[in-house]
Amino acid sequence: MRSLLSVLVFLFIAVVQAVSSSGDRLLVILEDDAEKAGYSKFLGDLESRGFEITYETPKSESLSLFHLGERSYDHVLLLPTKSKGLGPNLTPNILLDFINANGNILLTLSSSTPAPTSIVSLLLELDIHLPPDRQGLVVDHFNYDTSSASETHDVLLLPSPGPLRPGLKDFFSPVSEDGNLLAFPHGMGQTLGQGALLSPILRAPATAYSYNPKEQSEVVDDLFAAGQQLSLVSTMQARNSARFTVVGSAEMLSDQWFDAKVKKLGEKSAVKTLNRAFAKQVSGWTFKEIGVLRVNWVEHHLNEEGMSNASNPKIYRIKNDVKYSISLSEYSWDKYIPFEVPESDALQLEFSMLSPFHRLQLTPQISSSDSTYSVAFTLPDQHGIFNFKVNYKRPFFSNIEEKHTVSVRHFAHDEWPRSFVISGAWPWMAGIGATVTGWLAFCAIWLYSAPSAAKKNQ
Amino acid sequence: MAPKKSAAAASPAPVSTTAATTSSSSAKTSSNSSQQIDQVALNIVQHYQKNTPQRTKLLDLFMVFLVVVGGLQFAYCILAGNYPFNAFLSGFSATVGQFVLTASLRIQTTEANKSEFPAVSQERAFADYVVGSLILHFFCVNFIN
Repeated sequence: MRSLLSVLVFLFIAVVQAVSSSGDRLLVILEDDAEKAGYSKFLGDLESRGFEITYETPKSESLSLFHLGERSYDHVLLLPTKSKGLGPNLTPNILLDFINANGNILLTLSSSTPAPTSIVSLLLELDIHLPPDRQGLVVDHFNYDTSSASETHDVLLLPSPGPLRPGLKDFFSPVSEDGNLLAFPHGMGQTLGQGALLSPILRAPATAYSYNPKEQSEVVDDLFAAGQQLSLVSTMQARNSARFTVVGSAEMLSDQWFDAKVKKLGEKSAVKTLNRAFAKQVSGWTFKEIGVLRVNWVEHHLNEEGMSNASNPKIYRIKNDVKYSISLSEYSWDKYIPFEVPESDALQLEFSMLSPFHRLQLTPQISSSDSTYSVAFTLPDQHGIFNFKVNYKRPFFSNIEEKHTVSVRHFAHDEWPRSFVISGAWPWMAGIGATVTGWLAFCAIWLYSAPSAAKKNQ
Repeated sequence: MAPKKSAAAASPAPVSTTAATTSSSSAKTSSNSSQQIDQVALNIVQHYQKNTPQRTKLLDLFMVFLVVVGGLQFAYCILAGNYPFNAFLSGFSATVGQFVLTASLRIQTTEANKSEFPAVSQERAFADYVVGSLILHFFCVNFIN
């Protein structure tokens, strides 16, 4: 009875605490508390998903991302601030340390306020580039909202982004019955470096460009970036799977644009924006509510008849048949579900000593509660220290790098096939037989002939 | 022991005389050389048959047999490939080793070499030979697995 009660309590706690896979302490940095009202729906959504939100301003004395060397918060949301810097508590170094300590950061920019120098340095560190003078505005004369920005053309209307490339899971495509337009108002675009850790969620359409509204208000001659090279929402997933997202337009997350009616150039009727669903997906991804992979267990064993099939032995022999299995789960909003590799992508096992001797595709066995990927193969004809390695690093999925070391020994003296089993050896066996029988016959005749020889000599 | 000594002393003499006769005959007539060679070969065979002890003939026969068996094995290796190599090695080296042992037995038991091995009697040499051969056979059978 008592155990049943504790199980129920545990389940209750599990349901209530169902939130991000990496903790629920969220710090929101904004200019002053009054600004909260502008983002009430977004923040309310976060709260309803189970985050414990703390609000701070950059000037606050008590603001500290670390306490006694431990993270005080699991996630940070940075809303635009007017100050030039972010103060001594949010230096680029501290923010990087926060990422290194597995904290997630959602950063928002705006064209109306210049980005703080601290943020510019942090982004440079991550190879994300902002327009010069920390200020830029993205406009598009073809995909703008005619109802709110008929003159300035700075409210971009974009279709939902879809997957970055084939073979990736589509995390950021909100669906809606009427229209599928995202509003990107008064935003600052970024350009991304070549790093493999960087991946854009939302790119600007081909006709968009970024310019400096202060200096180039009359003539736009020197563009910061244009078209697809301009990233509006970009991400960086560090090697420790900590996530960092830059949203070019903070207004995108504001109440005003969550359910606004927008009208694209040339369209007759106004449609509702998808910003709310998109904001949920972007914040959910950044705060590790989706796209988090977990290795449940890894198992390998000898796959030969008549041998002991103990799990995870430390040693194998060359040319042994071996089976390797790995069980993976994916966190989806509030629970772990079986992980399915996206179509046209593959999960691979490397059997490597310095370089891979085998790189094999793992085949899935997916049930409602578990997904196991396994492959059976024959070990290479090479002894040494080998690794079973699964190295699965994809944009928007947390990194998997599982390495299990085993020794591979050579054949023992008595493990070779006997010569009489190999028909090719029979002539040589016959050769030995002939030598031995010939020798025996020779000895017999030698001994037999001894007396006569002695007689002859005498 | 005395008769053996006399035999040992007697045997080298005919060899030297035949050599002398063959060389002189070849010098005499160079026109009929093929006949001369036949003559030489016949001479050698006759001399061998007449003057070689029966046990030494037996040794020679066995050594020829070993060369044939070893040659066949080597030919098979060249024609059919050397897999499994350990089988080839042990089969071939059995004949080679046996040949070497038999050759040493022949050296030790030849009357002409009696003075070289004053402490080794025929029986002793044969006993050494048997022990050596058994060890060789054990190694070869073990190595062919």
